Amino acid sequence: MSTPSWILGIFGAVMLLIAEVSAGQLVMARPWTRRDIAGAGIAVSQLLTGIAMAGILVPGLTTLPDAAWDVAFAAITGWFAWCLWQENRGRGAAAMARGRYAPHLVQSATMLYLFAALTGPITAGSGTSTGSMPGMPGMPAMTGGTPALRAPTLALILALLLIAFTVHDLDRQAGVDGVDGVDGYFQAVGRPPVPAGPALAAAAERLLLSPAVAKGCQVATGVTMAFILIIMI
Amino acid sequence: MTELAPARDRVRRRERAVTSPGTDARRVLQLILAGTWLLDGVLQYQSFMYTGAFGQLIGGTAAGNPGVIARPISWDAALVEQHLVLLNTLFATCQLLLGLGIAYRPTIRAALGASVAWSLAVWWLGEGLGGVLSGGASPVSGAPGAVILYALLAVLLWPTGRPGATAPFAAARAVGAPAARLLWLVLWGSLAYFALTPANRASQALPDMIAGMTGGEPGWVTGLQEHAAALLTGQGLAASIALAVALAVIAAGVFLPPPLARGTLVLALVTAAFIWVFGEALGQILTGGATDPNSAPLLALLALAYWPLATAGPRARRPQADGPPGNDDRPEGKSG
Repeated sequence: MSTPSWILGIFGAVMLLIAEVSAGQLVMARPWTRRDIAGAGIAVSQLLTGIAMAGILVPGLTTLPDAAWDVAFAAITGWFAWCLWQENRGRGAAAMARGRYAPHLVQSATMLYLFAALTGPITAGSGTSTGSMPGMPGMPAMTGGTPALRAPTLALILALLLIAFTVHDLDRQAGVDGVDGVDGYFQAVGRPPVPAGPALAAAAERLLLSPAVAKGCQVATGVTMAFILIIMI
Repeated sequence: MTELAPARDRVRRRERAVTSPGTDARRVLQLILAGTWLLDGVLQYQSFMYTGAFGQLIGGTAAGNPGVIARPISWDAALVEQHLVLLNTLFATCQLLLGLGIAYRPTIRAALGASVAWSLAVWWLGEGLGGVLSGGASPVSGAPGAVILYALLAVLLWPTGRPGATAPFAAARAVGAPAARLLWLVLWGSLAYFALTPANRASQALPDMIAGMTGGEPGWVTGLQEHAAALLTGQGLAASIALAVALAVIAAGVFLPPPLARGTLVLALVTAAFIWVFGEALGQILTGGATDPNSAPLLALLALAYWPLATAGPRARRPQADGPPGNDDRPEGKSG
C-alpha cells in the first residue's frame, strides 16, 4: 500500500487554493501599477507553485509537461537568487537567510529539483515501501515500490530547509519581524485604496492581502513541499 | 479613510516592535523542537507507514517487556493493523499539528502540553519504553527512546520563567537549575549504564549494530557505516567502555563550572553526531522507513538547552511583562 490517494488529494486541494489566493492577490493588489516587482514576483511564483504541485499530487490536475515546469522554475529560482543577492549584498549569509526572498528561493529551487528528479529514471531500492504512487507526472508507477527521487540526500536537505523556513515564517510576528513597508507579499505604501463598494468585498480584499494570509500560504506551501519530498525519498 | 491605512499600519508596527520581546535563545530551541515535530509528521505520511509492517514494528517493541507493559503494546499494534489508514493518518496529522502549534506563539503552551502527553503515550505504546525494561536499550541505537526526549524537551523549554530564580542555562528557566541538572544526570547517566550492559559490551555488538543499519541507505551512508563497522570489529568492549566513560563525563558536566561545562557539552554534541551518523544512520530517514530522526538530534538539542548563558541570572529575576506566550520572559542574551 502507498500513501492514500485521498491524502494526496487533500494536499493537492490546498495547493490549488493557494494558487487561487495568489491569483486573487495579484488582481486586487495590482502590483504592476506601482512597480512592485518583488511583490508581483512572489505572488506569481506562489501561483505557479500551487498549480504545479497540485499537478504532482493529483494526476487530473497536471497542466504542463515536466520540462516546461523545469524551465519556469529555473527562471524563477534564478530571479529569486538575483533578488536575494541584490537585497543582501555585503550583509552576510545570516542576513540572506533572514531575507524576504530566501524562503521563496528555497521553494522554487525545490520545485526545480522535484521536476528534474522526477523525470529521471526510478532509483531501484531507494525505498522500503511497497505499492505505487499515483499522480506523479513522468513517473510510471513502479511495481512493488514507490517512485523515488534521484539524489535523495538532496531531497532530505531541501525538506529540512523548507521545514526550517516554515517554522520561522510561523513564528514571525506580522509587522514586527517582517520587511519594513511590506504587508504580505506587497508593498503597503502606495497600494491603491479599496474602491467604494459592498463592505463584504472590501473585507474580502483586506483579508486576501493581509499578512496572515500570506503567512498561511507560505506555511502550507512549505509543509506540502516537505511532505512531497519526504514521501518520495 | 483607506488612504490613512498605510500610516496607521506603520504606527501599529512601531507599537508592536516596542512591546515585542523578540526571539531569545529558548525560543530558538523551541522552534527547532517544532521543526523536529514537523519532520516527524511528514515522515509518518510515508508509504511504509501505510503497510502492515508499521503495525508489526509497533508489536515488535512488546518483546522482552513485562506483561503489564507488553499487553497494551500488543493491543495497540493490533488496533493499528486493523485501522491502519485512519490511525496512521491521525498520528501523522497530530505530529504535524504539534509542530505547527509549537512554532505559532499563541498556541505554544497547548502544543507543548499535548506533546508531553503524546510522547508518553507513544513511548509506551509505540516504542515499548525504548527497550529500557527489556534489556535491549543501547545509546547507539536510540535509547531511551527518541520520543521520551521530546517530552523532556517540552518540559525544559516550557515558556515560563521562575520568579526569583536564576537561570544559568535555557533548560533551567522552567524547572530550575537543580531539577534540570538532575534530569540531565539521570538521562546521560542511564545512557552510560546502557552502554555497558552485556548485550552492548559484547565484542561484536557495536560493529554488528552499525553494519546492520546499512540496508536501503544511499551509497555514501553505507560507505561510512561499513568503514566504522570494520574499524570496530573485535573492539566492541573497548568501544563500549570508551563510550560509557564519555557519557558519564557528559552526565557530570552540567555540575562543573561554565568553562568545563561547555567542554562537556561540546563532547555531548560530538557524541550525538557520532551516534546519529554511525549508530542511527541519520535516523534511517533516507531509507523511507523512519518515523522520526531518532534520538541523537534531540540529545544535541538538549545539550544546546544546557549551554551556559553569558548573562544568566539577573534577567531571569525580572518580572514578567505582557506578551505573547512563548515570549513571556525577557531575552536571555547571547549564549556563549
